[in-house]
Amino acid sequence: MQHVANLTPRRVANDLNGEAAPNAIEVAGLNHVYEGRDGTVPALEDIALTVGAGRFVVIVGPSGCGKTSLLMMLAGLRRATSGTILCAGKPIADPDPERVGVVFQEASLFPWLTAVENIEFPLVLRHAPREERRRRALDMLNLVGLTGFDGRYPQELSGGMKQRVAIARGLVQDPPVLLMDEPFAALDEQTRMTMGHELLRIWSQTAKTVVFVTHSLTEAIYLADEVLVMSARPGRIIDRIPVVLPRPRTYEMMATDVFGRLRDRIWQQIRQTDTKGAP
Amino acid sequence: MTRLGIIVTRLALFLAVVAAWEVLPRIGAVNPALLPPLSDVLQMLANVLARPNVHEAIAVSAGEFAVAFAIAVPLGTAIGVLVAENDYLGEIFKPILFYVFSVPKSIFLPMFILVFGIGFQQKVAYAAFSTVFVVIMSASAAVESVKADHLLVARSYGATRLQVLTRVYIPSMMPILLEALRISMIFNFTGVLIAEMYASRTGIGQLIQNWGENFQMPQLFAGVIFLAAVAILFNETIRWLEARCSTWRT
Amino acid sequence: MRRQPAPSTVRWLLLVAALLLWEGLPRTGTVAELFLPPLSKTLAVLVEDWTLYAQALLVTLSEVALAMLIACGAGILVGALVGGVALLRNMFLPVFSSLYAVPIVILYPIFTAWFGIGSESKVAFAGMYGFFPVMLSTAAGIRTIDAQLLVAARSMGATVPQRIGRVVIPASLPTVLAGLRLGGALTIIGVVVAEMLTSAAGIGYLVTNYRTVLDSPRVFAAVLMILLLSILFDALARTVERRTLVWAQAGRRERIVVRDDRRLAAATSPV
Repeated sequence: MQHVANLTPRRVANDLNGEAAPNAIEVAGLNHVYEGRDGTVPALEDIALTVGAGRFVVIVGPSGCGKTSLLMMLAGLRRATSGTILCAGKPIADPDPERVGVVFQEASLFPWLTAVENIEFPLVLRHAPREERRRRALDMLNLVGLTGFDGRYPQELSGGMKQRVAIARGLVQDPPVLLMDEPFAALDEQTRMTMGHELLRIWSQTAKTVVFVTHSLTEAIYLADEVLVMSARPGRIIDRIPVVLPRPRTYEMMATDVFGRLRDRIWQQIRQTDTKGAP
Repeated sequence: MTRLGIIVTRLALFLAVVAAWEVLPRIGAVNPALLPPLSDVLQMLANVLARPNVHEAIAVSAGEFAVAFAIAVPLGTAIGVLVAENDYLGEIFKPILFYVFSVPKSIFLPMFILVFGIGFQQKVAYAAFSTVFVVIMSASAAVESVKADHLLVARSYGATRLQVLTRVYIPSMMPILLEALRISMIFNFTGVLIAEMYASRTGIGQLIQNWGENFQMPQLFAGVIFLAAVAILFNETIRWLEARCSTWRT
Repeated sequence: MRRQPAPSTVRWLLLVAALLLWEGLPRTGTVAELFLPPLSKTLAVLVEDWTLYAQALLVTLSEVALAMLIACGAGILVGALVGGVALLRNMFLPVFSSLYAVPIVILYPIFTAWFGIGSESKVAFAGMYGFFPVMLSTAAGIRTIDAQLLVAARSMGATVPQRIGRVVIPASLPTVLAGLRLGGALTIIGVVVAEMLTSAAGIGYLVTNYRTVLDSPRVFAAVLMILLLSILFDALARTVERRTLVWAQAGRRERIVVRDDRRLAAATSPV
């Protein structure tokens, strides 16, 4: 497991030969419809996007726009009716925890396992030897800042701590990509801010590619290299906004003009689509 | 499956059971002496319901049921409310009550017979005994279910104690009280029947026990169907009432 | 403010008082010995006839074991199916809850007519008596399992056998153990009642037998045995639950589950 501290993601994106690493994620021509009560409902329309290796991309959009569905498809948990999804150059149709780690909104930790047992669960599924999987799980536990909490059960952990365990679990197999579906939505605001900060630290130390879905515009801008804005259903990507704020990000940046203008721009676009064809 | 589909399937399954009950004994797949065909049972039911001694038995059982209920409900409610309202008494008695609940009441039936002999009093006493605990538990649950917030709001608007009682407690407790009524009726019914089946000279339970001992299967099945129908009727009626009163409940 | 004694102290005092009354009231003649034999006499006959009681208890226990197999085995399986599959749930659950209103005791004479007064009728009756509540409780419990856990497991690449073995089964353990405890308590009741009504052996039979000859001490001794049996089983079941479900103790969920199913247990044994 590499610890790549203090490297900006852009540098990591080049491999040892100095060439640009392949894109972590490539989506082309993705469309999705599902059978509703009154016929087919288009959920996602013409989604195409590429995410460079090591980038932190955030998807925002109004409720029901399909951003969670899109994430589920990137994870291989759902199949789109048409289109291709490539992850590290290969198509993804089923969950592949060695390529993609997933963190859900409700941490979804198994209540009958301790924190460290939850983290090593993916390795248990792979029948990894006991010492190795325990060692890796403890490494992850330390990475997310929960040293000493290995023996706790999920009920004994706060919301923020549970999500840290969930993140550790997503990273334990060292996948190049981490998908996160509104992981901080169930937390109170102060915890959200702390967790965002923590997430950026973990990301800078591990150089993963992250695709993060959220409702919160502030969170999106704070975290992202690039923000993808989705329209209301049927979901389309209506804007790609690079966030040129320097890293490491700080809370003070939230008060800057740049931040404010970015937020306005995103908000305006979401407002327009929402009032136009809201379901 | 749609609601209609579900109802139709249930009906179909019910008819299948009815058909099996009729056909299997008739063709000899099942011993008709042990399981008489449904039509025979229903005929016997009509026959039995016309007999005066059966009317008497029903009247006796109904009487026991009513008197036991009349004793158990007020007594149980009083105790239940007391335990719920008075914290100290509640703390003392609640664990005791919990243990007593999980003990089977029917094992005390012989003691009631030792004390009262065999007769109306004994059966009423036993039925009331087996019902009162459920009433206690329900009553205290009902009182505890009244949300403290509602009480606070009422008092902050200057409601008198009587108003708090009638306008907050009673509407709040209604759904639980009806549920309690339904469950205590089930308990009471069972208590009366068991006492009659165990040792009695009168009553429907005794008739059923008798028919069983004498291998009068058509009568036995007729009696069972009759009692089952009565029980289900009572149950559904109160359920319907509950649904009517609980529309506001989340 | 006047200091009140601790509730647990009061309870112990009440228990001691009850035992004293049990001994004292009949001895002083306040209550006839027929109605309430002194505690000492009851214990004395228990010791004296203990082989008889032990044999009867053995018969009862073997019937309970078999009935539990039926009630819990079928009850948990059917309950899991009915609770887990939405179609089955919508179709059958309302029917089963309506049937619960029927006093099952009235079916016992049918069982004795079919199977005789031996163990078979007790096992069949108690098995049926325990089946419905266990099934209803399992169906309700199955629904409390978080479906998201299965999605998470899938995202980690779990195969179907892995999902069943490593997620569904551990997640249903609390429900299954509660079902076993409920089923056990109810089958004990069912067997004992059946033995009291029509039987030739077992502890319930002893109760009825001694009652008909008005041998109060022996009646009370038998009842005491039954009480002990039911209390011991309950304590055993709860200990097993507590030990296996260590992880559930940490959360407040456990307290709610305990309170609800105690209520359920009390509400489901009208006998």
